[in-house]
Amino acid sequence: MAVPQIQLKRKITTGSLLILMVIVAVVMLYPFWYIVDNAFRGQAQYDRQSGHSLSGWRQLFANLPVAGQLLNSTVVCVAAIAIILVVSTTAGFAFAKLRYRGSGMIFLLVVSALMVPLQSILFPEFVNLSNVHLTNSYTGAVLVYAALGTPFATFLMATYYRGISDELIEAAVIDGLGYERTFLQIAIPLSLPAVATITVLQFIQIWDDLLVGLFFLPTSQRTITAGLATLSTGRTTSVPSLMAGSLISAIPAIIVYLIFQRHLVKGLTLGMGK
Amino acid sequence: MSLTEVAPVAGQAAGRRGRSGPATRSRLARRRRRAGILLSLPALALVIGLLAVPVGQAVYYSMTQWNGITTTWIGPSTYSALVKDPIFWRVLENNALLLLAVPVAIGIPLAIAALLNEHVRGWRFFRSVYFLPTAISWVVIGMFALRFFSATGVLNGLLAHVGFGASATDMLAGEHSALAALAITFIWSMVGTNTIIFLTGMATLDPTLTEAARVDGLSRVQIFFRVTLPLLTRFIQFSFVITVISAFSALFSLIFVMTSGGPGYGTTTLEFFIYQAGFQQVQLGTAALYGVVLFVIMAIVGLVQLRLIKPDDGGGW
Repeated sequence: MAVPQIQLKRKITTGSLLILMVIVAVVMLYPFWYIVDNAFRGQAQYDRQSGHSLSGWRQLFANLPVAGQLLNSTVVCVAAIAIILVVSTTAGFAFAKLRYRGSGMIFLLVVSALMVPLQSILFPEFVNLSNVHLTNSYTGAVLVYAALGTPFATFLMATYYRGISDELIEAAVIDGLGYERTFLQIAIPLSLPAVATITVLQFIQIWDDLLVGLFFLPTSQRTITAGLATLSTGRTTSVPSLMAGSLISAIPAIIVYLIFQRHLVKGLTLGMGK
Repeated sequence: MSLTEVAPVAGQAAGRRGRSGPATRSRLARRRRRAGILLSLPALALVIGLLAVPVGQAVYYSMTQWNGITTTWIGPSTYSALVKDPIFWRVLENNALLLLAVPVAIGIPLAIAALLNEHVRGWRFFRSVYFLPTAISWVVIGMFALRFFSATGVLNGLLAHVGFGASATDMLAGEHSALAALAITFIWSMVGTNTIIFLTGMATLDPTLTEAARVDGLSRVQIFFRVTLPLLTRFIQFSFVITVISAFSALFSLIFVMTSGGPGYGTTTLEFFIYQAGFQQVQLGTAALYGVVLFVIMAIVGLVQLRLIKPDDGGGW
């Protein structure tokens, strides 16, 4: 008598937990469904919430250079991430394995730049970069993204390299590899997981960013996220075309998320110094 | 303790463990120093040139009238004028009100993490689903939220459906309700990040502790509050810092798309105020002034964060 009762109780508990999880899932997924559903409508169909068509998409492509802006986003992401990876792996390695007098202070200085919100320095930054003519190409935005991503990436790489044994590095150096080749041939291959984490984290951050894209890029080189936000401020734009734009701008980040989910999670919790 | 762990603390000199003579040793130490400086230089240059120097400039320009070309020095009196500006306090009030969302943005994910931590079949799938919004830009989230909260939007449709048609209001039309809509959107988009933090925290806990509590006759809820929660303190602190930083410096895009700071100053937070002052009124000195205030607030939060990160890293640096 007692055993089936316990089993029944367990089943009820499991069932109610499952129902709760489904409810949360609906709340988290509903916006996605709304965007997909309404991207395939015309404005009139949107207003009465029935019927589907491709007119939202036609309007989107007529009002926004979608392909060009997707390309702009890609170029900016790739260039900024490349810079972040170069400076954070080198500096992380130096701070972890090649300590010199004052390196601890410099490390703290680099990492504490994490606290600087771009909004705080927006206009000095903009005036500086436009004074040296870097805001009429990709360069200015790429540099700003790189600078904003460097503190955390450096912290992450230093934490990672600290986990590699000093003896391994010293042995490689003494065996004639020298510091530069030890870094390239020993340290870098060992740190590929951290490199992957930084890449995914930064890709999503930069792809999704509006502020830098809005200020530091000329109109013709706007990213898709900045383009979409600007389009939304125009009063004549139809809702379905904005939903279509939202969908197409979100897809690359979602794909990256689905493939590299684990790296993203790791980067987040590595932020705790774990 | 292994040699590897002692080494960073024990001394800076390279090659101190035999194998090579004193001459090679000092030569190696010199090369090591040079390599260290060389490799850390690019990161340092980037951070100084594009972050530290502009902070200094912002402090200087905060005491001037500046339109991007001509600068008129005013002095520290800009700060005393600021404290007397009622609009500035109105904006700070919005930031303070947004802070009220922080406990909710931590509490809900805590509950969700506890739910997932029961490891019911399929929990990994649900974890991925809950984390998905983390990949989406605030611009896209704002696009949806704008339609969700508007008079003809989804929320009012839902309310009408369950018989509250009469209470249909445009949440984005009222100053406080618009801020509430912004806060709800913010809470929704923090769910993924905070849930993952707490789930990671719960995975580090020793299962025998909850087991022992269960044997002692504590209920699931009691175990959560008396055993699990106290052990998660570090993770809760971390998510608190992340959530506050996001509330104060990551909502620009959301406000830009959803409300443009309105109605009135209803949803103008400090970070958006900076943009308005500089971009719409071309008062770059005033924008820099607000920027310095935001930076100081962030620095205080950041110092808390540094304190949280540090204990784990030991005396190495």
